[in-house]
Amino acid sequence: MMTFLIFLTSRMPVRRCGGLALLLASVLLAPVASADGTLLVIANLGADQKITLSREQVRNLFMGIPVGESLTPVVLTADNKARAGFNTRVIGMAEARIQSYWAQMKFTGRKTPPAEFRSEAELIEFVQKTPGSIGYVSASTKLPDNLQVVYEDAR
Amino acid sequence: MKITSSCVQRVSKVGPLGLPEACHRTRLASLIVALGCGVVSVASESLEVTDDLEVSGFVRVIGGYLNSDDNSVDGYRDGISLHQQSLIAIQPTYHVTDQLSGTVQWLGHSGSGRESGIEWAYLTYDLDDQWQIKAGKLRMPFFYYSDSIDVGYSYPWISPPMQLYNNKLFPTFEGGNVSYSSSFGSYSLRLEGLYGYYNNDYVMIGGTRLDAEAHFDDMYGFNLNLGRGNYNLRLAYHTGFSQTSLGFLKPLKTALEQAGFSESAETLAATGPMSVYSVGLNYENFSGFMRGEWVRTVTELDFSPTQTSYYLMAGKYVGDWTLHLTFACAENTRTRPSDELQPFVEDPTINPGLAQLAAGYYYTYDRIPTGGLNSVTLGTRWDFRANMALKLDVSYLKETSPYSGFFISRDADAQQNADTQTGTLYQVGWEWVF
Repeated sequence: MMTFLIFLTSRMPVRRCGGLALLLASVLLAPVASADGTLLVIANLGADQKITLSREQVRNLFMGIPVGESLTPVVLTADNKARAGFNTRVIGMAEARIQSYWAQMKFTGRKTPPAEFRSEAELIEFVQKTPGSIGYVSASTKLPDNLQVVYEDAR
Repeated sequence: MKITSSCVQRVSKVGPLGLPEACHRTRLASLIVALGCGVVSVASESLEVTDDLEVSGFVRVIGGYLNSDDNSVDGYRDGISLHQQSLIAIQPTYHVTDQLSGTVQWLGHSGSGRESGIEWAYLTYDLDDQWQIKAGKLRMPFFYYSDSIDVGYSYPWISPPMQLYNNKLFPTFEGGNVSYSSSFGSYSLRLEGLYGYYNNDYVMIGGTRLDAEAHFDDMYGFNLNLGRGNYNLRLAYHTGFSQTSLGFLKPLKTALEQAGFSESAETLAATGPMSVYSVGLNYENFSGFMRGEWVRTVTELDFSPTQTSYYLMAGKYVGDWTLHLTFACAENTRTRPSDELQPFVEDPTINPGLAQLAAGYYYTYDRIPTGGLNSVTLGTRWDFRANMALKLDVSYLKETSPYSGFFISRDADAQQNADTQTGTLYQVGWEWVF
């Protein structure tokens, strides 16, 4: 991160702007907070199709960036604890930031945000019925047989 | 010779529907407030009218006050103003098939520099989850937030740095856009290319909206977004051929041509290629972010100088709050006018008629906005509920040379002095998306 600042500041005409730019360096970023409980990312894939995804791939997928597999993400509504954990540990952004990201994507006509479900049970029911869909639930939730765990975040 | 007095005046004085602007503002402001009050209890997600039709939109209510001697900036003066940036947008999207959809964005705006109307109108065709084609009236994606500039909810400030975002020559274009997005290992990528043209009756230079017969043809460009982990890099290049006639220069240009001073007349012509290069870098994690954007605008137009603008910002998230600090700068080369009329200024007795023309030419040339401005903004954003935010920004602004275009003197003919072109802008805002 400091490299980023140094890179930027080294390119600025210091005469007028440099002193103030350095002020920015004094804003330090604190360590990441985390929510407890293992999270499972589950997908409805064909019976003979087995995949595992990396954290980075899961993050991209849920931010609207395709990862090569034809998967459609679905999420939980903001009042779910598993969503808060997923935001913190997988996406790495707070709820409000994710919403403002999706506002930008939506109103620039690029992508629409994932469909939302009120509870893990409703989300599982949808994923179970919809081939190619992918969502996340907490590890304590009982999973139907036809769903595959493609990523596990254990804390 | 009074050609020049209109140089820095805003153009639009009549609102849409032909209503006087003041009347239109009041109506729009009441509409926004009524909507704002009525919807707080309504679900915040976009409305699905039918399976195929979806309506979304956004509302901004922005108040501002400028503390500066006899100046205004971006329409703000030393009196509280609620209409400069307040707006409402309704965006219906109709899904013709799973892959094809049509979108229109109607924008109601009460600011003096803008007009209400259809801001976007395009068809989208999704070939698959990676390729997308759009055609119609689209936004120019010069910078990171250019195409969501009206969606205040999408960025932390009330006004993104005006050195970049108010300096743009034009906000929309007509044409097509192809987008590809994918990820490779730990990298994510989005590459977009566009081709089109822009014809309209105004251009933005140095933060000032100028009356013009504006034509930009053969416009093309690309932007690339590359992400890895918490980092994101954006590179963009856009270019086009300008054949623009600025309203306030036209009488003077014609007079110079008729008097046989083609070299001087030529310095007022806005014909030639124009290119905009920009680089943006963003780092963000759960507790904060750092961001910078840099842009260079290069033209072959004599009066429109090469300009370099950038901003650097850092922000910290504390619960539902964002605190941020931005430093922004715009520098430019001021081009020199032709010296062919100089003798008539030095000795007006040679030809008093031409001396007046010459004086008018140099006077005007000095007052063409060039856009040099430094600023520091300290701001906070409170995401107090889903899809809504309250914001407070305080900006200290200082122009780097007279007639930069951002500070407009109350008396348009007054001699400007860069030392007094300073001010503090206080803004509060309410943002809502649905």
